Amino acid sequence: MAARETGFRLDGGCLIERSKPLQFRFNGKPMLGFKGDTLSSALLANGVGLLGRSFKYHRPRGIYGAGLEDPNAMVAVRDAYGYEPALRAGQVRLAEGLDAHTVTGWPSVDFDIGALAQLGMRFMKAGFYYKTFMWPTWGLYEPYIRKPTGFGSAEPVKPRHSEQRHDICDVLIIGGGVAGITAACGLLGAGLKVVLADEQPRLGGALMREGVTINGRPGAEWAVEQQAVFEAADEIDVLTDTVVTGAYEGNFFTLLQSDHDAGGAGQAGGLRSERLWKLHARYVVLATGSLDRPLVFEDNDRPGVMLSSAVGRFVGEYGVAPGRTVGIFTNNDSGHLTALSLLQAGLHVSAIIDTRLAPESPGVEATAAAGIRRLSGAEVVGTSGYKGLRSIDVAPVGGGAAERIDCSVLALSGGRTPLIHLATHLGVKPVFNPESGEFICPYVPDGWHIVGDAGGFSSFAKAINDGLEVSAVIRTTTGAGPFSWDVPKLSALESAPSAAFWKSNAGNPARMWVDLQNDVTVADIELAVREGYVSVEHLKRYTTLGMGTDQGRTSNINGLAILAGLTGRDIGDVGTTTFRPPYTAVRLSAIAHIRQNDIYRPRRRMPAHDAHIAGGAVFEDFGWQRPDWYHANGADRETAVAAEMVAVRGAVGLFDGSPLGKIEVTGPDAATFLDRFYVSNIMTLKPGRIRYSVMLKEDGVIFDDGVLTCIDEGYYLAGPSSGNAEMVASWFERWRQTEWPALEVGIAPVTSNWASVAIAGPRARELLAKLNPGVDLSSTAFPHMSYRECRLGGVAARISRVSFTGELQYEISVPARYGHDLVDQLMGEGEALGIQMVGMEAWLRLRLEKGYLHVGSDTNGRTTPGDIGMGGIVERKIADFIGKRSLSLAFSGSDEREELVGLHAGQGRLAPGGRIMAPDAVSAPCVTEGYITSACYSPSLGKDIGLALIERGRSRMGETVRIYDNGGVVEAEICSPVFYDPDNERLRA
Amino acid sequence: MIVIRCPYCDELRHEEELEYGGEAEIVRPAPPESVSDEEWAAYLYMRTNTKGHHHEQWCCRAGCGQWFKVVRDTVSHEVHEILRFDGTFSHPTEE
Repeated sequence: MAARETGFRLDGGCLIERSKPLQFRFNGKPMLGFKGDTLSSALLANGVGLLGRSFKYHRPRGIYGAGLEDPNAMVAVRDAYGYEPALRAGQVRLAEGLDAHTVTGWPSVDFDIGALAQLGMRFMKAGFYYKTFMWPTWGLYEPYIRKPTGFGSAEPVKPRHSEQRHDICDVLIIGGGVAGITAACGLLGAGLKVVLADEQPRLGGALMREGVTINGRPGAEWAVEQQAVFEAADEIDVLTDTVVTGAYEGNFFTLLQSDHDAGGAGQAGGLRSERLWKLHARYVVLATGSLDRPLVFEDNDRPGVMLSSAVGRFVGEYGVAPGRTVGIFTNNDSGHLTALSLLQAGLHVSAIIDTRLAPESPGVEATAAAGIRRLSGAEVVGTSGYKGLRSIDVAPVGGGAAERIDCSVLALSGGRTPLIHLATHLGVKPVFNPESGEFICPYVPDGWHIVGDAGGFSSFAKAINDGLEVSAVIRTTTGAGPFSWDVPKLSALESAPSAAFWKSNAGNPARMWVDLQNDVTVADIELAVREGYVSVEHLKRYTTLGMGTDQGRTSNINGLAILAGLTGRDIGDVGTTTFRPPYTAVRLSAIAHIRQNDIYRPRRRMPAHDAHIAGGAVFEDFGWQRPDWYHANGADRETAVAAEMVAVRGAVGLFDGSPLGKIEVTGPDAATFLDRFYVSNIMTLKPGRIRYSVMLKEDGVIFDDGVLTCIDEGYYLAGPSSGNAEMVASWFERWRQTEWPALEVGIAPVTSNWASVAIAGPRARELLAKLNPGVDLSSTAFPHMSYRECRLGGVAARISRVSFTGELQYEISVPARYGHDLVDQLMGEGEALGIQMVGMEAWLRLRLEKGYLHVGSDTNGRTTPGDIGMGGIVERKIADFIGKRSLSLAFSGSDEREELVGLHAGQGRLAPGGRIMAPDAVSAPCVTEGYITSACYSPSLGKDIGLALIERGRSRMGETVRIYDNGGVVEAEICSPVFYDPDNERLRA
Repeated sequence: MIVIRCPYCDELRHEEELEYGGEAEIVRPAPPESVSDEEWAAYLYMRTNTKGHHHEQWCCRAGCGQWFKVVRDTVSHEVHEILRFDGTFSHPTEE
């Protein structure tokens, strides 16, 4: 037996540069290709036919398509810029030093032990795994079954470089084939901004593979000339190597543009970077063309069987023959056109098997005239050659004796599938046109035009005509005036539409592959139908038809047709599955772009950030980078936190509270405005005074708390919590604009304008006095909850006497740029007083001892003012405020509400999240009545304390409750939430 | 991608520059005490969930910060009308 025929390099190939050879490796073996090759074309040129093993049965599989439609050619690729474990070889541009590996087959793709699965093939039908591995549970088997599946192996890699670009254009032309080029020509000089995008490295589309002449020269040359004209014109942007990946509302598109660096002469290359475009277009010309559809027959999955369009592309674009003798199986004229171009390239066409009984067309006549043998009314019923095609068996359609014909390549052309995915992204439901045997768009989205093959069965002449017509329409609509341009003179063979023929009538359905990637056969579809999966969406999910990484580009329509035949419906009634963006896989690195790591969300630093670093701060992200604790105060967190708490209770501590929200509310109606937000009466707040209150959403639930300062008449400073600062400002603004536009009030968020530093502790007054604020600091002149303005070292400063810790406390605010100086000065002056920097953890534990709540921790999505003990304040307020009405709804008055109370433990440890067990519960699981919201060890009390939301909590003071937490149970007693200085003597000192 | 021209700053804004504010024309009962619990709950929670022309609020969040009203088709996302809150200004949707 002769050695298996393999592919080889021919002359020609309009996309490759023979002067630029590239070295690459496939499964470790060094190979040679040219700049412009895809990995697929280069592999074929090097005689590689076997590229992988199928998903389920581990059947040998070869290159089947030339681009992203290929279901088989999955490879792991490493180039100079990165690594991907599973790419389609037709989408990988060859580069120097590229290292590709097959991703299926073990121990190798040539000898795959998994191929033994074929012996069990007849048992492994659709749903096999779910039906077989049911006892006791699927979950028991799943890990073992999943292990051998999947493509390639992932490894951590540096993301490829990417960039994003936003743009707006007047016309987006998608596809640079003859129709797209003509449309662009027609728009020249119209004063419109045009973007012409094509997946290939240069324009031309089908002109690059078919024997067409335009204006007397090969079509591919004409395309190159036009591209040069466009590139010279300012108004047209030609984006080659660009796939339009998604269409969205309002004619918004995402485009992925690749930047290839082929390298060469030992310099490794690869995919250097990608650019994701977000492009807006007024008008859209869909010129995406069509894809050849395969035909289905027994053993149609052998390496060497491939799409006719792919064979044409390999020869025309890359100068590569997939094999020396080619058979063609077709139901339309395009198979004949492929045959002619193969002849021209010097290959031997052993036969054209045409399913049509008596085909008549210029293409058919031309192949006959060229002496190519044609078998009309015939079909392929079988093939031979395990790892590569050797021959095909051909018989008359409807039965008869089979004849064996030798060929190493079988080109399939089962008609065309218009590439209308982008239109379906916008909700267009394709309809079946029985005359052309294609799914087409019944209408187009607003502003769209479909030209050429994308619109259904077409020809080069029609594509040119479409392009010109559409450009004329756009020119008229936009008032650009008519164009003056010489219509190109075309010479091409006119072809007739395909005959309805989907699969061979003879042969074993279990060996007729519909979806080559997922190993779905005709028998699987038959089984699905027998079991009632007759909806196309069910069929897809049950058999996995079209669910592979190729997204069923070559299998969907055949699957639908076979389903329609089995259920006695028209194909149009079966319908198609839904296509969603993206059209092809997009690297996450291109989508994420620079939004990664530190740039994902910028770190916000406080004005005195460097001063905290100097103090040994250990930072945590609370929306701002805030010191959690300071190394200067202890070697470990607990030691440092304890020391920081001691400083505040015994001397003075410094805490940077700059992120605390600051919103200035001004104007004659400022008080009225604010009174509608806070549950407390704001109208009585006098200049220089501060009030604590909470705000509700309209449903009566607390969403923020904070202090409100009256700086002067009609001049307020609201202090929302740090995490809500922006949100509260937006909330104010929305109500001002949408509900109360008549109120004269201005809202200015000034949080980051100020650095705010709190000093807390019995010696805080002494420390503040050292800065000579020029303000009487005595408790009578400057009492708790009041506000003064002064100058510190010549700098305007605001001082609020408020407390979060329960100690005497001042918050000093200076313009942000003086924050660092203020911290330095306070630390310097405070040294003799025993000052320490205090981090978030100590600060929060200090407030917990004092029983001050932390919104979001100690409240949840149900907590009302009554639940936290502010019911009296609400009742005393007569005026309306946001959320007030909801507090008289039934839920608010329920006697089962969770109320905020304190807890103290004897010996046990308390932790947030611990569930309060129902009184009669002995062990978990059980009914619970609330949970611990905050907890810590209290140095002041010498035991664990906590805050908790407990049903009817305030009426249960002194009750001992059992708390379940992480498998353990502790006991604690319900008490007042204020553990420290309940009479506020220290606070008011 | 929804694109709306802000009727205040007159800039064309993409969806990601805008904030969606839900249904417009939800009238806050005044005074709130005057309505029944059911009416108040309807104000809080009941929305039309329209298929088709939907009146809604949007904010020019990354731009001028102004809230405005839009009539949008919830099926096609086509914007039919853009209104300022005082109703004095509407901008044609065609760009």
